[in-house]
Amino acid sequence: MQADSEHKPAEAHVSRRDLMKVGAALLGALGLTQFIGLNDVRVRGSETDSEGGRKWGMLIDINKCIGCNYCTYACQAVNNLADDMLYNVVTTETTQSGGEFYLSRPCMQCAEAPCVHVCPVQATYYRPDGIVAMDYERCIGCRYCQVACPYGARVFNWKQPIETSPKSPEFGMAEVENRPRGVVEKCHFCSHRIDKGLQYGLTPGVDREATPACVVVCPTGARAFGDLNDAASPVSVARSEALVTLRLREELSTEPRVYYIPPNPKPEDGQEAGA
Amino acid sequence: MIHDIRHPILRLGKTSVDIFPYWIGLLIAGLIFGLTGAFIVLRDGLQVTGLSNSVPWGLWISIDLSSIAMGGSAFVFGVIVYILRIKRFEAIGKLAVLLGFLGYSTAGMVLLFDLGQPFRFWHPIVFWQPHSLLWEVTMCVVLYLSVLAAEILPVILEHPFFKNHPLLARYKILGSLMGRVHALSNWLHKAGPVLAVAGLTLSLLHQASLGATYSVLAGRGIWFNQSAPVQFVFSAMSGGVSLLFIASVFIFRVMRPGTVGDSALYDVAQLAGGITLLLTYLRVWDWAVTNYYSFDREIFLQTQMLDTIAPYSLTFWLGQAVLPIIAGSILLAAKRVRNFRYLMAAAVVPILAAIITRWNYNFAGLIASISYDPFTPNIILNSYTPTWVEFAVATMVLCYWLLAFSLAARYLPFRAGDDRHGPDSAEI
Repeated sequence: MQADSEHKPAEAHVSRRDLMKVGAALLGALGLTQFIGLNDVRVRGSETDSEGGRKWGMLIDINKCIGCNYCTYACQAVNNLADDMLYNVVTTETTQSGGEFYLSRPCMQCAEAPCVHVCPVQATYYRPDGIVAMDYERCIGCRYCQVACPYGARVFNWKQPIETSPKSPEFGMAEVENRPRGVVEKCHFCSHRIDKGLQYGLTPGVDREATPACVVVCPTGARAFGDLNDAASPVSVARSEALVTLRLREELSTEPRVYYIPPNPKPEDGQEAGA
Repeated sequence: MIHDIRHPILRLGKTSVDIFPYWIGLLIAGLIFGLTGAFIVLRDGLQVTGLSNSVPWGLWISIDLSSIAMGGSAFVFGVIVYILRIKRFEAIGKLAVLLGFLGYSTAGMVLLFDLGQPFRFWHPIVFWQPHSLLWEVTMCVVLYLSVLAAEILPVILEHPFFKNHPLLARYKILGSLMGRVHALSNWLHKAGPVLAVAGLTLSLLHQASLGATYSVLAGRGIWFNQSAPVQFVFSAMSGGVSLLFIASVFIFRVMRPGTVGDSALYDVAQLAGGITLLLTYLRVWDWAVTNYYSFDREIFLQTQMLDTIAPYSLTFWLGQAVLPIIAGSILLAAKRVRNFRYLMAAAVVPILAAIITRWNYNFAGLIASISYDPFTPNIILNSYTPTWVEFAVATMVLCYWLLAFSLAARYLPFRAGDDRHGPDSAEI
């Protein structure tokens, strides 16, 4: 390769000056962006800036879950979802010794949520109370959050929103606005109930009106909800009474705020597992 | 000076046919078919695709990744021509800019249809989330496409149409407008080094980030990989420069003999070969680190599951290891091989390898995904079949690429440098 550097010394001067001009302009433009305040419009909370220190969390006792799917249905009614849109999913899983149990999975409301980290437009963000919320007006529908979520907790709105959920009125009525087609949706711990309830002096987790629909509807009381930072909240009490709790895919350090009480070993399982 | 452009002619017995109009007609038909699909997507949304909540990224994202890789030669030759100032590659550099522009504009186009809310495409530019790899990729692609547009403008304006057209003399306003455009073009040409530095920075950033887009997702097992960003950069360079070699032989040696010397073309082939071998070295080490020196149950199970439904490991060993080593070696020995047919055949391999790498990467973590079951986590096999609408949009962007390339190949002069530099006269 031959580098012919002997060309045109006169032009080099001009291009150097131009080069400096363009460089200065680029630097200036870069500097100006620092003054654009668009990103400060909403507080993107972290662990420290919490409103009154509240952190909403949930505990699901797998031993009490009977797999009736009422949590899913109530969620669909309240959020006005079609049958194929599931914020909450109930599946049948097995223990290591082969015993079957029902696993009900809402959004984990992770403290280190992969979906928040990856959203290119901050449409997914942490509320100060820890809930991972969505700005449906901002979402561009790129679905990176869906790809990133280790729990499959996000659903894309493939079709036009429906007028009334097939689960209404049996399991409740729509309480939130419909989302447009082409955005990703998710469970939000019925944050509209929490916000409204707090305005009226109610306690989420204790007062039904201020508590997520899935918790209220559960016929066996398998779900407890409340402020994880309040030792007297139903969720904290249930956690302290439980012998052991677990969180899903804890090895990923997503720090979910949904806890589970694992299934008790059944007598026949105990012999096989040697536990 | 303008070189004569020789058009490929199809000879049928005694008659010879210029197939160019038929070829353009075919591409326009493809575009019209694709536009039908594009219209349906915009009207009915993504429900018309085969995508699902389990496999939310499919054919279009894979095309996006591949077309960005195919534009990888633009930043390499930006550096060679404008920073290292190796003048004999100047004409090839212009072609590289064209390939870059086409690759990136294709990617932008196909991504637009992949958005659930296509009319919010501008949101990342306004609502910043610097933690997001996709935000970074978007910003870099937008900026780099602007850089490429600035670089391609002088190349297009070289055509005599924009200087000597009679209309320019007849209507003063057109003439003065074109004068301003030429002044802008001259200024952009002088800003070449700045644009090259900007292009290099932006390219390296987002080519790497494209890999990182997948590889930061710890929850997906097979995607979680530290070397993916480097591999994506090298695969774009290897595939991009190989495509540039093929296009250069076609555009310069076949259509514009005398513009670029064979030695410069051999150098491009050698560069492609060298990068391909380097990439393959990295790929094989990466395989060894993830599958041999360490054992990850999830990656093992995912690979096993993928092998049951597709030639996943085979495409790695054959398409990304063995064949690239052979093809890379042939390209590296270009000056000994001295046969453009063999070299062009060899250059197809790195292009396919770059595409295979990216398609496999996109689908591996989605098709074989890990369940969240707390006690007996397993691998779930998801399925995805693109619908005709997805193929239509894919056809549309492919036809756009081919149409723009064909028109450029036929009409743009791709002169080596300014008029005062002659063409590279070395060994033709």
